[in-house]
Amino acid sequence: MQNKNKKFIYLKMSMIAINFIAALFITLLIYVTTRIICDHFIAREFINSVASIPWNPYKNIVVSITLFCGLILSFIFREFIYSNNNKAIYITLIIDLIISITLIYFLDFNYNGILFLVIANIIAYTKGIRGRYILMLLSVAAIIIADYQLISINFELYSVYDYISYYDSSTQQALMVCYNSIVSINVVLFIIYCISVIQNQRGTIDEVNTLYEKLSQANEDLRIANEQLKEYSKITEKMGETRERNRLAREIHDTLGHTLTGILAGLDACLTTIEISPQETKKQLEMIAEVTRRGINEVRRSVNKLRPDALERLNLESAIRKMIMDVETMSHTKVTFETRVANLKFDADEEDTIYRVIQESLTNAIRHGKASRVWITMDSVDGEIILTIKDNGIGCVNMKKGFGTRHIVERIQMLRGSVKFDGSDGFTVTARIPIRWGEVYD
Amino acid sequence: MRRSKIGLIIGCIVIMLAFPLAYYISNRDREITLELGIFAGSNWDVANANSYVIIDKAIAKFEQQHKNVKIHYYSGILKRDYSEWLTKQLLLGKMPDVFMILSDDFNRLASLGALKDLEKLMEKDSSFRKEEYFTTALMTGQYNGSQYALPYETVPTLMFVNKTLLMKEGIKVPDSDWTWDDMYEICKMVTKDTDGDGHLDQFGSYNYDWLDAAYTNGMVLFEESDTKINLVNERVTQAVKFTKQLYDLNQGRMVTQDDFDSGRVAFMPLSFADYRTYKTYPYKIKKYHFKWDCITLPAGEYGANISEVNTLLMGISNKSRHEKLAWEFLKLLTYDEEIQMDIFRYSQGASVLKKVTGSKEAEIILQEYMEESEKVIDNELLSRVIEQGVVAPQFLRYREAVSLASSEIQTIIENDKNIDSSLKILQNKINQYLKQ
Repeated sequence: MQNKNKKFIYLKMSMIAINFIAALFITLLIYVTTRIICDHFIAREFINSVASIPWNPYKNIVVSITLFCGLILSFIFREFIYSNNNKAIYITLIIDLIISITLIYFLDFNYNGILFLVIANIIAYTKGIRGRYILMLLSVAAIIIADYQLISINFELYSVYDYISYYDSSTQQALMVCYNSIVSINVVLFIIYCISVIQNQRGTIDEVNTLYEKLSQANEDLRIANEQLKEYSKITEKMGETRERNRLAREIHDTLGHTLTGILAGLDACLTTIEISPQETKKQLEMIAEVTRRGINEVRRSVNKLRPDALERLNLESAIRKMIMDVETMSHTKVTFETRVANLKFDADEEDTIYRVIQESLTNAIRHGKASRVWITMDSVDGEIILTIKDNGIGCVNMKKGFGTRHIVERIQMLRGSVKFDGSDGFTVTARIPIRWGEVYD
Repeated sequence: MRRSKIGLIIGCIVIMLAFPLAYYISNRDREITLELGIFAGSNWDVANANSYVIIDKAIAKFEQQHKNVKIHYYSGILKRDYSEWLTKQLLLGKMPDVFMILSDDFNRLASLGALKDLEKLMEKDSSFRKEEYFTTALMTGQYNGSQYALPYETVPTLMFVNKTLLMKEGIKVPDSDWTWDDMYEICKMVTKDTDGDGHLDQFGSYNYDWLDAAYTNGMVLFEESDTKINLVNERVTQAVKFTKQLYDLNQGRMVTQDDFDSGRVAFMPLSFADYRTYKTYPYKIKKYHFKWDCITLPAGEYGANISEVNTLLMGISNKSRHEKLAWEFLKLLTYDEEIQMDIFRYSQGASVLKKVTGSKEAEIILQEYMEESEKVIDNELLSRVIEQGVVAPQFLRYREAVSLASSEIQTIIENDKNIDSSLKILQNKINQYLKQ
């Protein structure tokens, strides 16, 4: 790539050089010839054979050199200083075009080959720039319009050939060879440049194609891996489920089974002793009650094990606050939690439900609603807990029963409560949960 | 990056502002020099000792009006070198701001774009009325319908009359509205052998050629373009026939300058510049020993008593950087009545301004240098001759074409060829030459 760039820079430099030589050739030839003509006192005769005269042969040289300095400056800016700035490239290209047209004007349209240089640059530089076709069109139009033969029909222009024809025939031939060679070399350089650009672009296309193939292969690999991963996660899920089921079975077996077996054995004993010794039976029943109570405790312990982590370790309020804190640190959503219920201590399934409803609603507010604020309030009315989760998100007009809301509904229905959703102003979840107050079996 | 970019933009703006500012400051107090291109001597090829008097006077006047302006000219450029000198300046891009234009050069300079189109300047200048100029003089400076130069000095052609000879023959000097027939009659009367040696020694006219006759018969040589001469028509044919009649009177004897100088010829066409030069001291004494005067040329059937009017033009360079000053100076030279009056004082031509040429003062100046007894040319007549005169086309080949035609016509007359068919052949020949 580096090599290629270098090649292009050399090509462009040689194009600038040959154009400079061409302009210098014309202006110098005119200057020197004018001097000779004046020294030989044939000026009056000479002007009979020309259509026009340059405004000032000496100043024409100065102007040409100055314009070329501008061209070289613009080249340096474009090539070395702002090579990655599209705007700068665009501006320098326009400057090039203006300089070229000015030069052509000063040379009275005798030489328009400099426009090839401009076109070469436009071809090379304007890949990603808008207006490349306008620039291109402008330069091509300039080449067509700035043709000596065309313009000299309507305007009086001086011709370098008039000055060449002043000399004797052998000098004329030599000068013509020089001049035409310069013009041809410029065209040849332009063609070489264009071919290089085309080749370079073809190389790029090949590279892109190879890269694209590689990318497709990688994509395919990734898709397969993804599929495998899905399969794997399904298996793990299944395994987890099985493990959980086994644990539950074991728990039931260890606690309920054990207790129920004890109760059954005690009751069998009671059946035999109730008629013989009611006293003994009563003692036995008391023992059974004790076992049952212990069994309930065991069950509670087991159930506790199945509760969410925070709830397992903390009470409901602390668990909710922790969840809120986690949410606030993870997403930039501000969550306010207010409760007017004195003691947040319910049965495990109730606490679970409240906790899950809040969790689902927060998740929905952040994920779907893109909310920045969420307000959670809990109130106790007529023995029911009114739980409201409101957010300032985008809400939704036609609410789909998503997974999250379905879970909420199911959970609350299990407790014989009700839930309403309102997506008109942000999103609001209002749940009424009947609480079994005082039915504490402790 | 951002900072350097802002710096760059500011730098560019500063540079862009600095140039005009520097230019303005350097030019504010600087003296402006206007280049003037003029030649020494007379445009009419007569001796002139006062070449630069008028110009120097005009320069002094102009520099007084414009304190920071100096006008510079190279003195000593002869008329025959002037064209070369001027084109050299043109080729080198050093054209003077204001310059004289020889009539051969005018068309070429105008077509090369070396001359400023004066139409806009004339329009903008409210103190300028081009009607003040003689129409012919103004026309000389026109190219493709636009005014590219203004007339500076003009010279019509007049008819020299040998008064002594006419008086001797008892013939009255003709009026200014005389005709070919009048001229032929007089020539016929005076052409004789006075000393009785069997050879004619007194003649009617000298140097009066077909072109003089054709102009007074309403001929237009170049109607459409520079490359097409028009010789085949009644007016030219009549003129050639008339010239032949006059030639035939001399019975083949060629009239010479010597015949004329020794007072044996009645008529000769003469430029107004010659008239003024030889009518005044010191040439007056040396040249002729007889009384003479100038009148108009005789009119043909289709024409009037007119003649060719030559005008010296002055123009402004198209590249002049002091267009306004150049215009002011050009105006001073060609439009200022005082300077134009000096043409009568120090030069040999006539002023291009109607008012000046027709003025009493001009008449007094002309009279001043002549003998009391001599009657100077009537100002009114002079004005009319200039105003109605014929402007010769101003391209280099014109003179060559006309001299070719003249020599061929002379052959036609001398060899008694058929005039109509010979003119047709001649016309084709000249057109072919012009096309080259």
